[in-house]
Amino acid sequence: MEFLSYFGNVFEPVSFMLLLGGTIGGLILGATPGLSPTMAVALLIPFTFHLAPHQGLILLGAAYTSTIAGGAVSAILLNIPGAPANIATALDGHEMAKRGEGAKALHLSFMSSAVGGVIGVLLLIFLTPVLAKWALAFGPSHLFWIAILGVTVIGTLDSKSFVKGLLSGCIGLWLSMIGYDDIQGVQRFIFADALTGGINIIAALIGLFAIPQVLEMLSKGRALADIDVITVRQQSLTASFREMISNMKALSIGTITGSIIGIIPGVGGQIAGLVAYDQTKKFSSNSHKFGTGHPEGVIAAESANNAMVGPSLIPLLTLSIPGSPTAAVLLGGLLIHGIFPGPDLFQNHAAVAWTFIDSMLIGQFLMVIFGIYIANLAAKIAQVPRSILAAGVFILAVFGAYSVQQSMGDVHVMIALGVGMFFLEKFGFSAAPLVLGLILGPIAESNFLQGNLIAGAQDGPAIYFLTGTLNLVLISLVILSVLFAFWSTKKANAALAKSEQGGSA
Amino acid sequence: MKKILAILTMSVALVTASMVSAGDYPERPIGVAVSYGAGGATDFQARIVTMVAGNKDMLGQPIYIINKPGAGGRVGWNWFASEAEKDGYTMSAYNVPHFIAQSIKGGVKYTADSFEPIANWGADPAVVVVGKDSKFNTMQELVAWAKANPGKLTLSGAGLFVGHHIAALQIEKAAGVKMVYIPTKGGGAAAMKAVIAGDVLAGVNNLSDAFRAQKAGSVKILGVADLERNKKFLPDVPTLKEAGLDVDNASVNFRGLMVPKGTPKAIIDKLSAQVPVMFAHKRVAKRMKAGGSPMKIMNRKEVQAMWAKRKTTLTELLKGL
Amino acid sequence: MNNQNTRNIQQISAAVLVLAVAAMVAWLSYTREPASAFLFPRYISIAFLVLSVWNFLRAATGIAKTGGGLDTASAMRLAPGLIIMAIYIFWLAKYLGFYVASTLTFFTLFAIYDPKAHTSLRSWLIRALVTIGFMAIMYGLFALVLKVQLPRGMFI
Repeated sequence: MEFLSYFGNVFEPVSFMLLLGGTIGGLILGATPGLSPTMAVALLIPFTFHLAPHQGLILLGAAYTSTIAGGAVSAILLNIPGAPANIATALDGHEMAKRGEGAKALHLSFMSSAVGGVIGVLLLIFLTPVLAKWALAFGPSHLFWIAILGVTVIGTLDSKSFVKGLLSGCIGLWLSMIGYDDIQGVQRFIFADALTGGINIIAALIGLFAIPQVLEMLSKGRALADIDVITVRQQSLTASFREMISNMKALSIGTITGSIIGIIPGVGGQIAGLVAYDQTKKFSSNSHKFGTGHPEGVIAAESANNAMVGPSLIPLLTLSIPGSPTAAVLLGGLLIHGIFPGPDLFQNHAAVAWTFIDSMLIGQFLMVIFGIYIANLAAKIAQVPRSILAAGVFILAVFGAYSVQQSMGDVHVMIALGVGMFFLEKFGFSAAPLVLGLILGPIAESNFLQGNLIAGAQDGPAIYFLTGTLNLVLISLVILSVLFAFWSTKKANAALAKSEQGGSA
Repeated sequence: MKKILAILTMSVALVTASMVSAGDYPERPIGVAVSYGAGGATDFQARIVTMVAGNKDMLGQPIYIINKPGAGGRVGWNWFASEAEKDGYTMSAYNVPHFIAQSIKGGVKYTADSFEPIANWGADPAVVVVGKDSKFNTMQELVAWAKANPGKLTLSGAGLFVGHHIAALQIEKAAGVKMVYIPTKGGGAAAMKAVIAGDVLAGVNNLSDAFRAQKAGSVKILGVADLERNKKFLPDVPTLKEAGLDVDNASVNFRGLMVPKGTPKAIIDKLSAQVPVMFAHKRVAKRMKAGGSPMKIMNRKEVQAMWAKRKTTLTELLKGL
Repeated sequence: MNNQNTRNIQQISAAVLVLAVAAMVAWLSYTREPASAFLFPRYISIAFLVLSVWNFLRAATGIAKTGGGLDTASAMRLAPGLIIMAIYIFWLAKYLGFYVASTLTFFTLFAIYDPKAHTSLRSWLIRALVTIGFMAIMYGLFALVLKVQLPRGMFI
C-alpha cells in the first residue's frame, strides 16, 4: 500500500499543472496523424531536462497515456489511426461516427480507455514481481508462435470473406519484407527508391485507412444527395456510461487481453487492441455486427490498448528492459536524472517511482474529463461537407506521413498503398488484416531466424519450437483459433444462405 | 552572347556562394538524423548532447532529432548519403564501427568518404555479459566452455556488422573458437533481454546498458573490449586483453555528428569549431554522467584519424567473411 | 445481366492481378541470393500463392460474392481528384513548398467537388476563406506546435 502515501506529490501545484498539460497536450499530439505515442513522448524529453525527476516523469507518463487515447479521436472521426494501437478502434468507431454517433463512440472510447488504464496501472502496482517473471518467459520461439497466433486472427478480422482476409494478410506480410532485411541487411523486393527504407508502419497506416476513404468520397462526385442527412446526435454522459456497463463482457475481455499482451516485450503494444477486438468478436453473440459500427468493438479495442500501458512498464521498472519503444523513451527520461530502473528505483527513489505511478492513475481521470469535453464538439466533424472533408483529410494525411521521418518517400509510399487499397477494397479485400500482416511480419521473421540460430546450437529446431509447455499452449491456441475461424465463417455463410432463401421464398 | 552567359553564370555562382557563407548560419533549426529508433542509446545521447544548441553562445538555433531506424542503421545513413540536403541544416549522428563495417560489407549507398565528421561526443565500449545465474564467472571459463563445446555457445548482440558483432568476431578469432552470434532486431535492449531471460548463454552489449543491468542485479559483466579498464563505471572488470584474448578497441562504439560530403567548407568549419564546445557544456556532461553514458569528445581532426584507422582494421577483420 | 457480366470480369481480372503479384513474389524469393535472407519470404510466398489460386478459382467459378468492383461513373468522377493528388505529391509539393502547394491543392479539390454553384462569387469567396482557415490550422499545428520542418519551395 506504499503507493497511497505518494498521492500528495501528484497534487503539488507544479506537478499537477504538468499532469494537466501533459494530458491535454497528449490528446492533441495523439490525435495528430503521423505522430505516434513514441514520437510524442520523445518530443517532450527536452522539457524534462529542466524539471525535477518526478515532475519530468509525470509529464511523460501523462503524455504516454493520453496520446494512446488521443489516437482514438482521429481513428474514430477521420478513420486515420494515429498508431497501430488504434487500428481496431477505427473499425467500428468510424462507422459509428459516419452514422452521426461520433460523440457516443468517443465517450465509449475514453471511458473504456480509463477503465482499462486504471486496471492496467493497478496490475503494475500490485503484481509487478509476479508479472516480471512472466515477461521474461517469452523467448524467440514463443514470440514466433504469438506472431503466428496474430496471423490466424487475420482470417476472422475480415467480416466479409475468409480467403480474402487471409490473402490481405499475406499481402501485408509480403509488404513488411520490402526494404533491408533487419537481421542480415540484405535488400529485398526494392522496386523503387522510396522503398529502400522499407515501408514505414505509421505512413502505411495513414495511407491504407485514410486514402481509400478520401477516394470513396470523391467518387461520389458533386451529388448533393446524402450529404446533409447526417444528424450528429448529442450524447449524454450517463447514457454512454450505461452503455459501457451493459457491455461488461467486451470491457472485461478487452482489459484482460490488453493487460496480458501488454507485458510481452516487443509485441504487446502494437497488437493488443486488434487481438482484444478479435477475441471479443469471437465471444460475442452479436459477432456479425462487428465492423458495422458496433459499440462492443470500440470498447474492447480501447480498453485493451490502455490496459496495456501499465503492464508494458513492468519489464522496464523491474528489470530495466524497455519492453516497447515508448518504454525505451521513458527509460531515457529516467536516465537523464541518474535514476536507474530496477531494484534501485524502488529502494532509493521510491518517491519518484510511486509518484509517477500514482500520476498515471490520476491522469486516467483527467483524460476522461477532457476527452469527453471535446467529444460532442469534435463529433460535429461528420457534418462537414464531403468536399472539404475529403480535401482536408488528404492534406492531413500527406503532412502526417511526411512528418514521421521527414521523408517524401514515405508520402509516396503512403499514397501508393492508399490508392492500391482503394481498388482492393472494391474487390472485397480489407485494410485491417493487411496492416496486421505488416506489423506481424517482422516480429515473426526475426524471432523465427533467431530461434533457428539458437536451436542450431542446441537440439535442433523441432525441439526448440515444438516442445515446452508455453510453446505447446501457444500452438494449441493457434490451432483452436484457426478451427474456430473456419467453423464460424461456415456458420455465418449457412445463416446467410438461409436468410437469402427465406427472403426469396 | 557567350560573355553575357559567362557573366550570368558567374553572378549566379557568386550569389550562391554568398548564400552559403557561414555568416548567418544557422538561421533556422538544424535537424539531426539518428539511424536508430527513439529511445535507443544513440537517440537518447543525441538528444542530450544537442540540448544546449539553442543557447546564444552555442549555435544559436535549436537542434531537433529525426529518427530513421532500420536494418542496423543502413536505412538512415543511406538516406543521409543520397538524399539529405548539403546546406548544413541536416546533420546525422554516426556510429563507428557500424557504418564503416557496413560499407565494407557492401550493399549500401555510402562509404566512410561520403560523410564529413564534425565532432565525436561519446565512446561506449562493448562488454561481454552473462545472466546472473550463469555458470560462467570469468572470461576464461566462458572461453574454455566454448572450446569444449564448439558451436554451442550462443551470444546475443544488437545486429550484424555493428560494434557488438565486431567484438564477437574478434573474440572468436582471438580464442580460436566457433560461437553462435545471434543478432536481435530490437537493438541493444532486445539483446540484453535475451541474456537476462536465458534465451542465450551470453551476450555482447553496450557498457552503459550493461552497467545498468548489473546494478539492477540481472547480469554479470565478464570483460570489456577496450584497451584499458573503464575506471569511471566498471573499475573491477578486466579488459579482454587482461583475460588473455587479443582483442583491441575496434568494436568501441564511437558516436558523433557528421554532415554529408559537399556541405560548404565555411559551414563545416563553423560547426566543427562550435559543436565540441557544445558537447563540453557542463549541463550536457552532468546529464550524460547521470545516465551512465561515457563521454569522449574529439574534434574533427581526431575523428578523421579515428575513422581512417577503423577502416583499415575492419577491412582486415572482415576480409574472410 | 450485363451488369453481372462486368462484375465477373472485374472480379476475375482482380484475382488474376493478385495471382500475378503472388507468382512474382514467389519467383523472386526462390531466385534471389543469399538464400538465408529469403528463407522467410519463401514460406510466405507459398501461402500467398496457394491463397491467390484459391481466390482465383472462386472468382472464376463465380462463388466470390464480396466486392462489387468499380462502376464507370464513379471512376469518371474520381479521375480529376486522383490527377490533382498525383500532381501535388509528385511535383507541386517539391517546387512550391509544402504550404503553398497544399493551399492550392486543397482549394482545387474543394472547388471541383463542392456541390455549390461554380458561378456564384459568394461561393468562391467561401471556398477561399475555408481554405485559408484550414491551412492556418495546419500551419499552427505542424510549424508552431510540433515544429516539423516541411519541405520549402520557391516562396516558403
